[in-house]
Amino acid sequence: MNKLIAIWMLFGLALPAWAGDEVKLEDIKLDTSMAAVERGADTLMNVCHGCHSLKYVRYRDLLTAGIDKKKVDTWRGDQALDTAMTGLLPDDTAMQMYGKIPPDLSLMTKAREGGTNYVYSYLIGYYITAEGAASNHVFPATRMPDMLGISGATDAAQRSEIQHKAQDVVSFLAWASDPHEEERRRLGFYVIAYLFVLTALLYVVKKQIWSRLKK
Amino acid sequence: MSNKIIQWIDHRFPLTSFVKHELTAYPTPRNLSYWWNFGFLAGFVLVLQVVTGIFLAMHYKADIAMSFDSIQHIMRDVNYGWLLRFMHSTGASAFFLVIYIHMSRTLYYGSYRAPRELMWWTGQGLLLLLMATAFMGYLLPWGQMSYWGATVITNLFRATPFIGDQVVVWLRGDYTVGDATLTRFFALHYLFPFLIIGGVMVHLVALHTVKSSNPSGIDLADKDNIPFHPYFTSKDFYGLGIFLIVYCTFVFFFPNSLIEPANNIPANPMQTPNHIVPEWYFLPFYAILRSVPNLVGGVVAMGLSVMVFSFMPYLDRSQIPGGAHFRPWYRVMFYLFVVDMLVLGYIGYIPPTDSSIIVGQAATLVYFTLFILLPYISRREEQWLIRRGLPPEVQALIVSETREISKYPKRRRRGDTT
Ligand code: HEC
Repeated sequence: MNKLIAIWMLFGLALPAWAGDEVKLEDIKLDTSMAAVERGADTLMNVCHGCHSLKYVRYRDLLTAGIDKKKVDTWRGDQALDTAMTGLLPDDTAMQMYGKIPPDLSLMTKAREGGTNYVYSYLIGYYITAEGAASNHVFPATRMPDMLGISGATDAAQRSEIQHKAQDVVSFLAWASDPHEEERRRLGFYVIAYLFVLTALLYVVKKQIWSRLKK
Repeated sequence: MSNKIIQWIDHRFPLTSFVKHELTAYPTPRNLSYWWNFGFLAGFVLVLQVVTGIFLAMHYKADIAMSFDSIQHIMRDVNYGWLLRFMHSTGASAFFLVIYIHMSRTLYYGSYRAPRELMWWTGQGLLLLLMATAFMGYLLPWGQMSYWGATVITNLFRATPFIGDQVVVWLRGDYTVGDATLTRFFALHYLFPFLIIGGVMVHLVALHTVKSSNPSGIDLADKDNIPFHPYFTSKDFYGLGIFLIVYCTFVFFFPNSLIEPANNIPANPMQTPNHIVPEWYFLPFYAILRSVPNLVGGVVAMGLSVMVFSFMPYLDRSQIPGGAHFRPWYRVMFYLFVVDMLVLGYIGYIPPTDSSIIVGQAATLVYFTLFILLPYISRREEQWLIRRGLPPEVQALIVSETREISKYPKRRRRGDTT
């Protein structure tokens, strides 16, 4: 009986090895600085917004985050500041061209297994197969063209530039998916610090009260 | 002045005597370990969930065209809406964690045994209500996992004899999970916590009748009981501090780790996610469901796996005090059970493969075997322990406590049995 259990438990330990048949994602260190987010916004507005919406983000949110007002004004044109960043590509045109409506990007880094690593790996995952067709390492059948041009870039400097661009876009998307993250972390430090002090005091109180009990 | 007010009230309502009886003079075994903190913590999380839930409901819209957007509205535009939402979503996990620890303590120390069966059964009822509440709450954000989780689970009711299909439609309010389902789940998700509060009252009245169990497993004499306040209020608040540190670490730093990525995609009835997983707290039971190849069998096995806890007062035939504390065989079974739960949880999490199904079936078998063998093992263990003699310190404790209790019979606690 015990031996059988031991064998089953070994099975349990070995399982992760079998479960991991997914593609290996690039591991990036997310740059959450506002500079990176702003560079990412540039690329996104120039390259991606033509096809993708970010319907939960408003132009005003970009201002609140600290992106240059002049830029935001150019991007929104004559739309009000409180307009959501909806897509520019009509759905039926998208269906005609790609057979699919490009997904909204506001929550993209939270909506995929792997998060920011996934989106980054996807953006720079394009390559040309031996047959000369375009493909993608993490999403082989994707309908999205290689927008950053990584599959055509051969020399190292050019590739690294594209990788940086992709990283910045991901920084922007990470901000867009959770605009209060920085505030949350900042507040979190105070809350946890406060709780440590409070708990230490409560411990002392408890000790004090219990010391009145005779053994 | 305040004395006068209290006197005025005491003439009309037993305020002072209630506080005295249930709090300041309520006798509590002095040897309770920190494992006894989790009942209080469960009560705290309940309040936390109700309060954050009510504020979320002020901004949430139960309409399939709007609910996903309204969550984003809460997360982005409502002042500290992100905090409310993350406190609530993390609170659900915290609730189950605390309850599972509370149940494990009861199992380990045999606190379900006479005279505390009613505590155990009201607790079982509360667990079912909690599961139902969490399950319905999970539909509300109307994400992919919300939708498909609700679809898969309501579909299980097809296993009802004769009227299965009708029951499913009745539950959903429609042929598929849709707007009717969302609005009723919202209504019930708001109602059930108040049923839970009612259940907790019953649980507490029962507790104050039979009093707390304690690690020694025998009822202690008066001298070893101390007033709940200030001793256990101070201890509970210290425990609460520790709990809050862990809880807030998740709320502020890892709140998304408890939300499936697929639930950040709006529900889409046309597209099944490639892997449907329930929340972590349902995983072991989900694994049991999937281990049985046939629907009815799986549903019965899953239902039994949750309800089997109720039988513990009958399955455990040993009178040896202290639960697993003084019972080596039962202790082995307890730890085996915990490990088995973890294995099942893991199997429930990963996409099924041929080998994982076999492991899941084996773990399911172990799960039920442990319960089935318990009456036999506990009796044999009792005989063995009696033959061998209890450890001297237990023996001494029993002797001294019985002497104490028979010397001062008047001061015995209400609900004492021996
Ligand atoms: C020419 C139109 C177009 C442009 C420009 C474009 N995309 Fe896409 N994108 C698509 C389409 C179409 C899909 C759907 C792909 C599919 O599901 O096959 C998509 C899908 C995606 C996805 C989701 C992949 C997944 O796992 O489902 C991400 C992330 C994404 N795009 C990011 C970007 C970013 C970042 C940019 C700018 C650098 C960008 N896209 C520019 C058309 C476009």
